[in-house]
Amino acid sequence: MTGSIEMAHATSTRRAVAAILALFILATVAVPTIAAQSIPYQRPVDTAPQEKTIGGGYKTPAAQKPLPRNSWLQLLDVAVLAAALAISSWLVLKRRSRKALVALAAGSLAYFGFYREGCVCPIGSIQNVAVALTNPQYSIPMVVTATFFLPLVVAVFFGRAFCGGVCALGALQELVLLKPVRVPRRLDRALGLLKYVYLGLAIFFALKPARDFLICRFDPFVGFFRRTGAPHMLMIGGAFLLAGLFVGRPYCRYLCPYGALLNWCTRVARRGVTITPDKELDCGLCTDACPYGAIEKMRAVRRNCLYCARCYAACPRDGKLARAKAQLVTLSAEPARS
Amino acid sequence: MQYRQVAVIGGKGAGPGQFGTSLRGIAVDATGNLYAANDSQITVFDAAGRLRRRWSTSQPAHSVAVAGDGKVYTGQIHQIEIFDGAGKLINTWRDEALLGRVTAIGFVNGDVLAGDATGRAIRRFDLSGKFRNNIGRDNPLNGLLVPNGVVDFGVDAHGIIHATNPGKHRVERYTPAGELLGHIGHFHGTDAAGFGGCCNPTNIAVRDRIYVTEKAGPRAKVYNFSGELEAVIAADVFDANCKNMSVAVDRQGRVYVADTVKLAIFIFEAVAV
Amino acid sequence: MSEHFTRRDLLHKAGRGAVLATLGGGAGFLVRKAHGQVVWQVDAARCLNSRLGEVGVAACNLCTTECVVALSAVRAVNEHSRCGRCNICPAYFNITSAVDDRGLPSEKLCPRDAITRRPIGKADPEDPANNFYEYLIDEEKCDGCGKCVMQCKEPLGLGSIVLRIRYNRCVDCNRCAISTACPKDALIQVPVEQGLRNDGVH
Repeated sequence: MTGSIEMAHATSTRRAVAAILALFILATVAVPTIAAQSIPYQRPVDTAPQEKTIGGGYKTPAAQKPLPRNSWLQLLDVAVLAAALAISSWLVLKRRSRKALVALAAGSLAYFGFYREGCVCPIGSIQNVAVALTNPQYSIPMVVTATFFLPLVVAVFFGRAFCGGVCALGALQELVLLKPVRVPRRLDRALGLLKYVYLGLAIFFALKPARDFLICRFDPFVGFFRRTGAPHMLMIGGAFLLAGLFVGRPYCRYLCPYGALLNWCTRVARRGVTITPDKELDCGLCTDACPYGAIEKMRAVRRNCLYCARCYAACPRDGKLARAKAQLVTLSAEPARS
Repeated sequence: MQYRQVAVIGGKGAGPGQFGTSLRGIAVDATGNLYAANDSQITVFDAAGRLRRRWSTSQPAHSVAVAGDGKVYTGQIHQIEIFDGAGKLINTWRDEALLGRVTAIGFVNGDVLAGDATGRAIRRFDLSGKFRNNIGRDNPLNGLLVPNGVVDFGVDAHGIIHATNPGKHRVERYTPAGELLGHIGHFHGTDAAGFGGCCNPTNIAVRDRIYVTEKAGPRAKVYNFSGELEAVIAADVFDANCKNMSVAVDRQGRVYVADTVKLAIFIFEAVAV
Repeated sequence: MSEHFTRRDLLHKAGRGAVLATLGGGAGFLVRKAHGQVVWQVDAARCLNSRLGEVGVAACNLCTTECVVALSAVRAVNEHSRCGRCNICPAYFNITSAVDDRGLPSEKLCPRDAITRRPIGKADPEDPANNFYEYLIDEEKCDGCGKCVMQCKEPLGLGSIVLRIRYNRCVDCNRCAISTACPKDALIQVPVEQGLRNDGVH
């Protein structure tokens, strides 16, 4: 039990750090926006010649008014998000199929990434929600509220289903991960604190009158989604992807501010990846398979689990064999604990 | 010929000699008193620049002119109010059709001329207010081209009306009956002798010469009747954003220009070169 | 692990309830003050190129350079009912260029040749050039550089040309990149109907 006390200490330290950061953010709250100073704009409306002045049967051409994206398409985005979250949870927790999850990730990348060009994403919506909660003059459309809260509510029940097959940034990194290299645990923990710092900074800068949305400005992958961008941002995105060939999802694990929020919600999650002690073989294949450090000492650390379903794929007793589980149980006796 | 600035009168604000929030028209009478149409008032200064009198008009005044008998005519929207020299209202001419925004008033041969910016023409009335004829409407474009929103004219000693046609970058000469006699001026973007921008010159005063003001690159210039530029009176002293600067000339040849942003009247005098 | 309802399970359930309550409360608060669809638009009263004040300075072209879309989503739009239809249009011509033998400036202002004109209304047979003209801005060529806007601005022109964001090109970023760079804070989020107005008035 000493191990779990150690873990409990480490956990409570991180909780304290996170709580202090949260209090700091709330303390620097609600700076009102300052209206820009300007010379009042006067137009002598009635001096321009009108149709009857011009004569000759002239008709003023109708104004061109190109319409923005239909608002019901925004509702469709929310519906697709909800559906993807549901499918992701089901695929990983019930179907336990890595192949299907990869397909979902590709689909999410195509829809939320390349079609919607990454905007509005739940990660960026943190800034909008932070400003809307603290500034009485700022409000956000319901669509953005839904985009922010849906993955969090799902996280309260099922964990980071969003990260698995839904987040476009995560899907992109997931798909480029070739040969995962294990990151030493201490380094992993230390780097993991960066996302809380990023969360704090993002909220702090979003709340300032300049309303600087850091998450949007420094999104490494939005340049790829838009197929255009500043050279330095494209290079940073490329660097993340290159690193992501070997280090599993570096942005998701160490920088994503939404991941910080999902972590907090996952701690009280009802379901999630579980390694059932009385059914597991202690073989360690899942621990080796997980590139994200979500399995430690043969137990799932749910808040780090990014729903990639590799553990299921690697487990000799699950994944492909899930549907044969019943058969396995009847074919052989419960293996004894050795 | 050169001009130098001798005085500045007025300014922004509610002080005794100041013009409040707008300054639209000026005029000088035979004795050198200066009349300014600002906000909804007429403000009178004497020849030395001291505030003499001020009275209110019922609507914001767009123009002001002083007749030979001392009556003060102010142009407003759909009406002209006539005051005596002390500021008492004598008469009001109202005409919804013929008087729009009256931006200039003048006198010729016992008749009153009103520049109607909405109708883009100069209307001629007799002293009782009866309409006689239009001036400047008898052309294929049905009026003067005034996108800047102001019709302005001056009457010379021979009774010829010199009206600005800013859209065509020229000053046109008309008889009181409305017949076009000719025009001076042309467009030029850089030569000071021409009129720059989209609609210049905006305002005019006529005595022994033709005095015009322009906007956007604001300046006041003086031409002779043949159309030759005699001098650029001033340019840099005006606020760059001012538009439709009313101009007046007194008997001594002093030029008064109303800066519509600084709300001040600049007074210039010719100096022997 | 036993099937008993342990203290840890209670904490979990309580925690879950608390988190859900917080999320629900936050969401409810935000939904109550939610507004409809908003779009980014340029405020003509603040934009350097169209507001009164700066005269004789170079046009600000941040709308062209900062937009994340390859050819900026900002266009110069001529609101015809406010246009003077002048022959010598300072936005069409470069009015400081040399005057040709027709009396017109020899150079056009737009570097991408996006403004065209045609004579309209009754023509004056004695003065055919001095006519009303309709000025059209080709939105395929315009890149929102703002030169014509600055020239059309009062007092030189009538201010009928303003910079507008065109929604068939704008990708509706969470925080418009131009808005971050604009020195006058002229990019604002407005309801769709207001954003569609071409006269720059809100």
